[in-house]
Amino acid sequence: MTFRDTAHLALRNLRQAKLRTTLTTLGVAIGIASLAGMVSLGVGLQDQLVGQFVQSGVFDSITVMPAGPGGRGGFGRGAPFGGRARGAGGRGGRSTSAGAARGTDEPTTPIVAPAPEVPLDEEAVQKLAALPGVKDAYPSISVPVDVTLGDFSETFGATGVPMSSGLEGVFRSMAAGSFFQNGTDDACLLSLDVAKRIDAANPKTLVGQTLTLSYAARGAGTGDPAISNSGAPAVPGPAALMQLRRVTFSCPVVGIVEREASPGPFGGRGVANLMIPLSRAKTIAAENVTNVQSLLRERTVSPKYASVTVKVMHAQATQEVEDRIKEMGFSAFSLNDALQGAKRAFIILDIVLSLIGSIALAVSSLGIMNTMVMSILERTREIGIMKAIGGSDGDIRRIFLVEAAAIGVMGGVAGLLLGWIVGRAINFGANIYIVQQGGTAANLFSLPWWLIGGALGFSIVVSVLAGSYPARRAARLEPMQALRHD
Amino acid sequence: MLNLVETSSLKKHYPMGQTMVRALDGVSLTIAAGEFVALVGTSGSGKSTLLNLIAGLDQATAGTLRVFDQDLATLSRAELSLHRRRNVGIIFQSFNLVSTMSARENVALAMMFAGVPRAEREGRAQLLLESMGLGSRQQHRPRELSGGEQQRVAISRALANQPHLLLADEPTGNLDSRTSRDIMDLLKTLNERDGKTIVFVTHDSQLAERYAHRTVRLLDGAIVTDVPA
Repeated sequence: MTFRDTAHLALRNLRQAKLRTTLTTLGVAIGIASLAGMVSLGVGLQDQLVGQFVQSGVFDSITVMPAGPGGRGGFGRGAPFGGRARGAGGRGGRSTSAGAARGTDEPTTPIVAPAPEVPLDEEAVQKLAALPGVKDAYPSISVPVDVTLGDFSETFGATGVPMSSGLEGVFRSMAAGSFFQNGTDDACLLSLDVAKRIDAANPKTLVGQTLTLSYAARGAGTGDPAISNSGAPAVPGPAALMQLRRVTFSCPVVGIVEREASPGPFGGRGVANLMIPLSRAKTIAAENVTNVQSLLRERTVSPKYASVTVKVMHAQATQEVEDRIKEMGFSAFSLNDALQGAKRAFIILDIVLSLIGSIALAVSSLGIMNTMVMSILERTREIGIMKAIGGSDGDIRRIFLVEAAAIGVMGGVAGLLLGWIVGRAINFGANIYIVQQGGTAANLFSLPWWLIGGALGFSIVVSVLAGSYPARRAARLEPMQALRHD
Repeated sequence: MLNLVETSSLKKHYPMGQTMVRALDGVSLTIAAGEFVALVGTSGSGKSTLLNLIAGLDQATAGTLRVFDQDLATLSRAELSLHRRRNVGIIFQSFNLVSTMSARENVALAMMFAGVPRAEREGRAQLLLESMGLGSRQQHRPRELSGGEQQRVAISRALANQPHLLLADEPTGNLDSRTSRDIMDLLKTLNERDGKTIVFVTHDSQLAERYAHRTVRLLDGAIVTDVPA
């Protein structure tokens, strides 16, 4: 008996019991809809969050710090995670130190290797930038400056922003104004929070106004060893203490940066309060005096940075670059480890959601079994006839299996359609709420091709499994007993 | 002459409640190719049981049963279904047509199991039904046909895979006397013209005497007389 003939008989049988077939198929459809809907929700949420991170530029950046206990411990107050994201940095730090603890099993991990401390200076930054796969490397510099505009006066950390960051998420969609035109002019960006503190009513009108920035500097700028690169290790004399001066310059506001609309679990890329071009921040940092210790300590040949941010070209390359940086003798951290953790969490979420969704499918598989058993009871005599005229056990079994599979196909298609419609409806409703709460509308349900294929395949497999017992029962019927059945 | 069916000490016992029913209790019988044999007996004599065993619809308890030189007891379930498909054509008292299929579909169904391509089986089913005088009734469902017509559809189906042996269990049991004669005449033609070996079960001695070449009488699962006509 050919498969075509088997399918022909099977579909014919299904047509003969339209109502029962429809109801059973509907049962499978609901099962598949709940399963696909749940997984779709899991995938959708994951896409939302992970997508946001990747766009935010967190996952293609590596924070490099000098090796040694000081460098490692310093991550929690890492400069790149300013403002709100600082807490997030702490969280990331915890998960990375867990990663470091795991890494102790591997002797190659540089964190464990007692290497002499490699200075994290300008030369190191150049080397880092030259690594394959690296897009950019820049020191994270934040210098305290006093900001004055009219009556307003407050001290902020001015964060140096490299020109290459202009393409990143936060700077792409600014609340007002634009990113720096070039890296050398005096210009600054404000966070919307700060702008509101300066001018609560019309924060955006600050663009174009000029702030007055000032900071404490040591001595006369010309003789500063940090800038001169003279090579002679100068010893700070008592005179240096006397030579404190106040540097004041005006800085036009070119743009206002808004925070990202929806906070992710890691806070996304933090937005500093006040941002100035990186090169400007470097010069300020070189002569800035924050306290007496820094005054004494910073008289070195070349400034050492507390941390350097390395941007990789692709987020996938993060791990590889991170390993190379560690080989160079620095400690390096990225949120990649945290992302791996998040992905694991999502896998667990997906499993839980699909288990919940599977309950409905399990019920509908019982429905299939019930329908098939009933159908066999009804068609016992017909099965007997088929056997009497030469139908084999296999022929009979295949007819019933194909019937079950057909229910699976129809139920799967209908279920995906149903799941999609319900998902759209929930998404629509949820987005109304999200927008009301000040968030941005998002796609909570994602239906990728693998899920469509997987759900269909699963529907068929479950249906065939549910049909296999009844089909086997039908196949094992004794022809004489089946023929005598009324 | 070639023996199509050979039984010796064939027994079929089955439990019914507390007792054991001895449906067949040592039957030894030989049927040669081309014979037209009537199995006669009262209800419960074992005649239908013997026919079902030869048909491969049921398994014997003891003794040997060779059909087409095959010991049916040694055949697997799959081989038994092949035996039913190729070697025998079975005709029932209650016709046993699939009620949801047309006359032609019923005939074609037997060929479907034999793997005959669709076009060929449709054509052969049509020819068979026409030869039975049912040319205009092919698309009718069994319930739209008279008893005689239904039995002729069933005979067409039994002939579909061109078996040498036709087994008929009370083929006229549900028919009036005139239709019964038509059906028996048809079987006679199949025997005489086409050389089919026919074994039929009946409780009607007159019918057996009129058509069969040989009448085997059973009583309580054993052969009492075996006489040529």
